[in-house]
Amino acid sequence: MMTFVATVAQALLLLALAPLLTGCIRNWKAKLQNRRGPRVWQPYLDLLKFLRKDMVISEHASWIFSAMPYVLFTSTLLAGLMVPLVTVAAPLSLFGGALAFVGLLALGRFFLALGGLDTASAFGGMGSSREMTLAAIAEPALMLAVFTVAIQAGSTNLSRVLQAAQGPGWTLLNPAYALAFAALFIVLLAETGRIPIDNPATHLELTMIHEAMLLEYSGRYLALIEWSASIKQLVLMALLANIFFPAGIATEMTPGRVGFSLIVFLGKLLVLAGAVVLVETTNAKLRLFRVPDLLGVAFILAALALLSTFLFQ
Amino acid sequence: MNSSPSDFPSQLITLLAAGMLVIQLLMAVQRMLLTSIRLFALQSLLFAAIATVIAYCHNAPEVYWVVGLTLAGKVCFLPWLLNRQVRRIGIVQEIAPLLNPSASMLLCGAFTVVGYLVARPFTSLERLGNNTLAVAIALLLTGFFLMLNRRKAISQVLALLTVENGAMLAAVALTTYGMPLVVEVSMFFDILVAVMVLGILVYRIRESFASMDLSELKLLKG
Amino acid sequence: MNHDLTLLLIAPALAAIVCLLSRSRRAMELANVLAFALTVGLGLELLRQVLLHRVVSECGDFLRADALSAWMVLLVSVVSLGSSLYAVRYFRRDLASGAVTPGRIKEFYVLNPLFGGAMFLVVLANNLGVMWFALEATALSSVLLVALYNRKTSLEAAWKYIILGSLGLALALFGTVFTYAAAIRHSATLPNFNWSHLMSMASQLDPRMIRLAFIFVLVGYGAKAGLAPMHTWLPDAHSEAPSPTSAMLSGVSLKVALYALLRFHILTTACLGSSFSRNLLLVFGLGSMCLAAPFILVQTNLKRLLAYSSLEHIGLICAGIGLNSPLTIFGALLHMGYHALIKPVLFFSAGNIHQSRHTLQMRLIGPGLIRVLPLTVLSMGLAGAAVMGLPPFGLFFSEITVLTGGFATGQTLVSALLLAAILASFCGILCQLTRVLLGTPRVEHVSEPKMRGEFIRPVPPHSRGKNSSSEQAQVRQGKTTEYTEYTEESLGEGIESPGGRVHASGAHLADPFRVLRVFRGFPLPFSRISRISWSLTRFRSLRFLGFGFVSNFPFRVSDLVKRWWSRRHAPVLDGLPATGLMLAIFLVFSVWLPAPLLELMRQAAGIIGGGLR
Repeated sequence: MMTFVATVAQALLLLALAPLLTGCIRNWKAKLQNRRGPRVWQPYLDLLKFLRKDMVISEHASWIFSAMPYVLFTSTLLAGLMVPLVTVAAPLSLFGGALAFVGLLALGRFFLALGGLDTASAFGGMGSSREMTLAAIAEPALMLAVFTVAIQAGSTNLSRVLQAAQGPGWTLLNPAYALAFAALFIVLLAETGRIPIDNPATHLELTMIHEAMLLEYSGRYLALIEWSASIKQLVLMALLANIFFPAGIATEMTPGRVGFSLIVFLGKLLVLAGAVVLVETTNAKLRLFRVPDLLGVAFILAALALLSTFLFQ
Repeated sequence: MNSSPSDFPSQLITLLAAGMLVIQLLMAVQRMLLTSIRLFALQSLLFAAIATVIAYCHNAPEVYWVVGLTLAGKVCFLPWLLNRQVRRIGIVQEIAPLLNPSASMLLCGAFTVVGYLVARPFTSLERLGNNTLAVAIALLLTGFFLMLNRRKAISQVLALLTVENGAMLAAVALTTYGMPLVVEVSMFFDILVAVMVLGILVYRIRESFASMDLSELKLLKG
Repeated sequence: MNHDLTLLLIAPALAAIVCLLSRSRRAMELANVLAFALTVGLGLELLRQVLLHRVVSECGDFLRADALSAWMVLLVSVVSLGSSLYAVRYFRRDLASGAVTPGRIKEFYVLNPLFGGAMFLVVLANNLGVMWFALEATALSSVLLVALYNRKTSLEAAWKYIILGSLGLALALFGTVFTYAAAIRHSATLPNFNWSHLMSMASQLDPRMIRLAFIFVLVGYGAKAGLAPMHTWLPDAHSEAPSPTSAMLSGVSLKVALYALLRFHILTTACLGSSFSRNLLLVFGLGSMCLAAPFILVQTNLKRLLAYSSLEHIGLICAGIGLNSPLTIFGALLHMGYHALIKPVLFFSAGNIHQSRHTLQMRLIGPGLIRVLPLTVLSMGLAGAAVMGLPPFGLFFSEITVLTGGFATGQTLVSALLLAAILASFCGILCQLTRVLLGTPRVEHVSEPKMRGEFIRPVPPHSRGKNSSSEQAQVRQGKTTEYTEYTEESLGEGIESPGGRVHASGAHLADPFRVLRVFRGFPLPFSRISRISWSLTRFRSLRFLGFGFVSNFPFRVSDLVKRWWSRRHAPVLDGLPATGLMLAIFLVFSVWLPAPLLELMRQAAGIIGGGLR
């Protein structure tokens, strides 16, 4: 019963919070660029609008085209349920913990790419191929970075990792963490399509990656895809915030602790979002052919982080 | 006075040292000269932070001298000087390093591992931090690589400066208080003069070769 | 209270300040020469004191001199004096020919004493950190000297020099830090970083740390000393620097870096036992020698040839110390001294050749240089024979000492390799130098690329640089045939390319020889007269250097010549007094080594080898 409540609560939290985070980032970015920018809750309105609209579906589309948004949405949400947000214990713990987490994200990405390919439009295929190219480097980096922390805790279960982080003998200021954090941050930028890698605000065929895959989608499907993109962003940020800065997270389920933890969690998220905004406004988008270089950096950092957990003993 | 490597300042130092290493790796892939200069300034700032932690936690007021010199020289003055030089010469980008960024990154990763292996037998000798010496040796090796990989004179100067940062880090890691003051001061003096001399040379090379690209320097052989 | 060591540092520094402030070139020249003359005196005084007290220290043990330092001080001061003497005329001629600007000359006179002073600090500093600082200072002060001519090639050489040197020194800094760390381990308080202090606690140093430190220092200071795999800057810098600086670089700067390495070697040996560091030195020394020999054979540039010969000799010194018997160490020190004295002679002669022929390409200097510049070739030939290790000269004895020591201690294989390398470079230098210096000059010289399309014709020395345009026009009109039919005698007077240095003046019209020369053939007596005038210039430069008595020596012939003979028409032999001085010192010490020097070297060898007993 308790786990059921927790599951529902966390799912609701994810669903509700994700568009807000996206809105915050957009709004702040505009402010930093001396624009007024959309309101913070604009993404909610967008979602509502999309949900109300009719869909235009290509006559060449197969079942994959219609299945993709649901698969993506479900897998992202499941992955989100495996990450501890406000309490140490995540509501869902599938086999393998972190492995399953990365696997679920990969499943979503796989279907996203298939959906892009399905209608055989030129842009969709281009976007899919780009997405997979980058994912081939970004995913190992993500795995290695998470493993760095997992090794310290002795378990790939993310809840256990956080539990270990609360216990004694946990070296907070571990250089391996610094390396892993840097790697994960770059991966975060790549996975959420942020500026040095992808520009979420344009539809320019030379550069776009994520948007290119969605060009054929409209209405409810588009709403689901956008929503799951927001959720993915929130989940990855939560992962970063909680694993590397575990302070303040609730270890037991008393309302006071959970409330406090929620506030701390929101604070951490906002700080991280601020960092992302800063990176976005101070950097120019990389040429597509330079993007693998940046992700290569992330990969090496993560690999070094993993190595240094052994070497630093 | 002799601290165990697990207490807070020690951890902080290790973390800052790892930060220096991360910055070094970023420099290995950075092509813009001005950004590289900024990264170097940041790296030096981290070193100054390490020295501050040492000075504060170990009651070693003479280390504040090192902090001051680093802040004045390596964080402010040298980046300013190099910036001015870059602007005067008007070349802002490293066009073609010999190895592409991914390969150089991999190589730098390998160098870091080598650094750890070399430093491994000496971890018991370190007074502060855990494996700060490893980071220092990694800085040395990657600095060497950076120097080989780059063709622009200013990038080479920067690489040299990061090697020097590594040496300072090793001094701090192994001896707690750094070198005797007279040595520290003369080291700083040397670095300043070296950069100025290199600056003069860069300027002259620029004048007579009409470029800062060192790959043109191959008149002398055998 | 004695201030010998402090004065040794202050004198060059003062000279640098004087040169910085003064505007007169003469004052700058004088300041340089006087400062280094003073240091020679101080070096001799130091020799006396070291023999008396064994160790002299000042400034609260900050400066410290034992026999090894005193030996290095003597070498540095003598070579610096020689090269600052040589620089006087060398740069006057460069200035006259427009190769350098007065500003650059000032740069030289400011930096040169700093370079020398930094080397004094290296050998006198007791603190190993300060020693590192001083070595970096030698690199920094000499790099702009290497780039003095501001040619593309010299800038390239300077860049390589400073980058490789700084990298090496950064490694050495790591080594120095490690050494300090090895010392700090066993003391509760901050230990001082003095070499003498470290030696006294050598057995308590952490052996692993010292081992690591020595490897770093070997590669680092080895790069500065030009040992084999790190030597690539060496031929470039030596060949592109102005000759006085080349002499300093090759003569003493390499050895000063080696000195720094030796200090660590002694420390390491005292800490770890004998075999570790000496084996490394042996390997690097042998490597340098073996690498130098083939490069000597294929060189086309005279000063690069000399640079590779320096590489060979520094390798021999290193290997001699690596062989590690008292005899070989003694031989190595002796070799250090002889090489320091003879290398400047070679570089000075090369400088003379460069200035009169405007090239260092041996192909263009060509066979038969002896007919063109007899005295320069004489000095170069003698010095070359010495550097090859021919018997009457000192280097032969030092090489034999090293080899005998090596064979006597049963290190047969290594000694045989040494012998082979010595023989190989002997053949190389012999082959190269004979080709250039001896033989018959070609009349039809291949022209320098700069002066494409112009003829190179023989011209007597007194008219060099005075080719007016009318004469060149004659040449172009096909009258060159006349010039190609000179006798051997007149060819000997000099070969000059017309495009080079032109001081347009009408003086040649009043020149009786010039008028005669237009006709076929060249009467012998005139050439004899010009020979006399030629030697006269030599005495002029001697007079400047204070040999006042010589100025009375030239006869009244001077009145005849004075009209067309001004200092500006720089004669070929200007560099010879300094060259001759160094050669004379070398020759004297080759046949007779004074007892105090021998005793000093014996003590120094004891310091180096002392760790093993």
